[in-house]
Amino acid sequence: MLQSPAGFGAERKSEIMSETAVKTGMRKDAPTIPESGRMRRIVKNRAIYLMILPGFLYFLIFKYIPMSGLIIAFQDYQAYLGVTGSPWVGLKHFERLFTEPMFFTILGNTLLLFFLNLAFYFPVPIILALMLNEVRREVFKRFIQTLVYIPHFMSWVIIVSISFVMLSMDRGIINELLVMAGFEKINFLMSSDWFRPMYVLQIIWREAGWGTIIYLAAMAAIDPGLYEASRIDGASRFRQMWHITLPSIRSVIVVLLILKIGDVLELGFEHIYLLLNSMNRDVAEIFDTYVYTAGLKQGQFSFSTAVGFFKSLIGLILVMLANWLAKKAGEEGIY
Amino acid sequence: MMKKKKASTILAIVTALSVLAGCGGGSAPAATGSSTNGGQAQGEKPSEPVAISIMANLHTPEVPSDMIEKLLEEKTGTKLDIQWVPDGTYDEKVNASFATGTLPQVTYLKNAASLVNMRDAIRNGQFWEIGPLLDQYPNLSKLKPDVLKNTAVDGKIYALYREVPLSRQGIIYRKDWADKLGLSAPTNIDEFYNMLKQFKEKDPDGNGQDDTIPLTDRNDLIYGAFKTISSWLGTPNNWGEKDGKLAPEFMFPEYMETMKFFKKLHQEGLINQDFPVTSKTDQQNLFITGKSGVYIGAMGDVSSLHPKVVEVNPDAELDVQNKIEGGPKGFGIWSVPGYGSVILFPKTAIKSEEELKGVLAFMDQLMSPELGNLIYWGVEGQHHQLEEGKVVPSEDTKLTDREVKPYQAMQVGGPLTIEGFYEPKHMLPVKAKAEEMIVENNDYLIEDPSASLDSKTFNEKGVQLQEMIKDGTYRFMLGDLDEAGFQAVVDNWLKSGGQQIIDEFNVSYESSK
Repeated sequence: MLQSPAGFGAERKSEIMSETAVKTGMRKDAPTIPESGRMRRIVKNRAIYLMILPGFLYFLIFKYIPMSGLIIAFQDYQAYLGVTGSPWVGLKHFERLFTEPMFFTILGNTLLLFFLNLAFYFPVPIILALMLNEVRREVFKRFIQTLVYIPHFMSWVIIVSISFVMLSMDRGIINELLVMAGFEKINFLMSSDWFRPMYVLQIIWREAGWGTIIYLAAMAAIDPGLYEASRIDGASRFRQMWHITLPSIRSVIVVLLILKIGDVLELGFEHIYLLLNSMNRDVAEIFDTYVYTAGLKQGQFSFSTAVGFFKSLIGLILVMLANWLAKKAGEEGIY
Repeated sequence: MMKKKKASTILAIVTALSVLAGCGGGSAPAATGSSTNGGQAQGEKPSEPVAISIMANLHTPEVPSDMIEKLLEEKTGTKLDIQWVPDGTYDEKVNASFATGTLPQVTYLKNAASLVNMRDAIRNGQFWEIGPLLDQYPNLSKLKPDVLKNTAVDGKIYALYREVPLSRQGIIYRKDWADKLGLSAPTNIDEFYNMLKQFKEKDPDGNGQDDTIPLTDRNDLIYGAFKTISSWLGTPNNWGEKDGKLAPEFMFPEYMETMKFFKKLHQEGLINQDFPVTSKTDQQNLFITGKSGVYIGAMGDVSSLHPKVVEVNPDAELDVQNKIEGGPKGFGIWSVPGYGSVILFPKTAIKSEEELKGVLAFMDQLMSPELGNLIYWGVEGQHHQLEEGKVVPSEDTKLTDREVKPYQAMQVGGPLTIEGFYEPKHMLPVKAKAEEMIVENNDYLIEDPSASLDSKTFNEKGVQLQEMIKDGTYRFMLGDLDEAGFQAVVDNWLKSGGQQIIDEFNVSYESSK
């Protein structure tokens, strides 16, 4: 898998597919070949289409069919009446959402956290991968790689608990150190100012190592001949990185960026919910936590579906925007 | 190339498996459902055991052993299917099961507030009305009409209840520290404050360091210290009467006084600085490890705290105290409306009145002295000994936690309504004192006048609106807001639907008079 970076996606894959298709097609001659070109192709390549089937079913069953549940956003859903029996209320829940006093705070928080995430977290794996790529000793490189992956396998509960113990006002080690160094204690856990840096740093700590995988794979696929040629021309390591490595993984970066934007509002419910408290709610409440309080704690399924729906719409718009921009910039995009 | 092929094969297999696994997961609950129904059908034949499905609140980290479950099945001729749900996510689980129509026949709710959230569903006929049937059952008919009335929706009774003492609130403190500093049990708010101050300054643990956190509290304005201290200062319980009209507690000056008191404690370092984000476990640990000397909450907790405190510090002594006067009104303490949790019977799980009667017959048996004692105290000789007709619980709390304690959540009624319910004989004098004080509290109760009242807006937005007040309260106590700032929060609350809640509660209040 690591040999096939995602970024080289579409083109290369279809190449491979048609290669294989030609082979299978030649080996077996189908008894009846339908007139229509498309049908003929399907029958001819049925083995390959069959292989798509599990994935296709997966998306159909777990992603598309559940989407029909969205209609309860336009109903006053009552569990005992069911989807068919609940009364239709049009856009009532959306109206309530837009007039909710918290609405703009939540929208602002969600978008701001997303941009912080993009600005501070997104480049880190790229830089880390570039650095790892320059490590000469293979053993050492693998060792570091494994080491930076490990935090990814810890749950947010553990990570937040560790930060909690370290940042506590009552004998947290960081505050003890601050006092020893002659500073005032800082109430990290219950402050609006410290929430955002804390959130971004925790993400970087947990995810940066894991994020390098795809970049490293892309770098492994770069033709060594390019480096060789540049060395002969007298390019330094840094020049090579700038003129060969980075341009070669550019399309991977763009695709990952667009995918990341697709996750715009998946800021990590669990993570934020664990960090959220009365003192930082004004900066920490996002759509996910809001849906949880309104929907699950108070059983307002229709309203929380409407909120979730709205959130997805923003995500869709941002992805389309990013894809359009990518195409404008001469990159491939994701569709 | 080979590598890639291999990888895609594996991927395909994994995907196929996950699809299969998904289907398997989906069909499992359906299977249980149908087997339950099958059981009910069989139940009509007298020889077969009646199947009863139950959802109950689990207060221990692990699901209990099925020893008591087997005994219950044997004695009642039933086949039980008990779904244990951890306390932390209980309400969410009930809501989700309700939404998908998969609530079991016997549904225990978490607490009184959960019942408020269910009112709309109850009013819409989702649960069986059981009021008229209760007389037919010898034990269920002993449930107190006053308490049942508090659980009623539009005057009709839908729920059985589990008793809890009306008010267990008080303080637990380190008597050895107080003795060392020559302090007696505090009887008013100034003495209480003085005790905290002395604990802070006089190095009660004698380690030569200024490291004591006198009061330990947690992220809970109700069951933590806040509400109890607010009672001492004379704040009403959730709602109070002001010029003949009901108003929420936070619009009373006493609430402001309580917040100021906490702000002072926080500024002077008399309370753990992180209390708005401290969990119950961490809160208790501060007390157990001797970092902190005063704990406010359910006085009965002294029996579980005592052994742990003594394990860390063998010289430690604990004491309890309830009556602390804080104002001109004298001592008062907030109370719950007579029930800890209620039990509902969903129509989605119980199809006919016949079936309902079968389930109620089982609940009736749970309230019999024999089974009532069994689920609360366990088996004699194993989990407790009888001395002079009183129960001495086994000291092996690990055993009782595993085999008995979870079943206590399934209790119907309680000591006041089950005839012949064993009284405990407390080996620990301080536990006995705590129990006495809990009874004594009954003479000083501050009741919640809104317990049986109803407001549509409250049902819809109450939880979110309450969060606003909660945030405002914490921010005031930590010095983030001043009085005007808190007033702005209250104004915002009124604007966002609070005023409607006040009006609706008052209409409901007038009509219930």
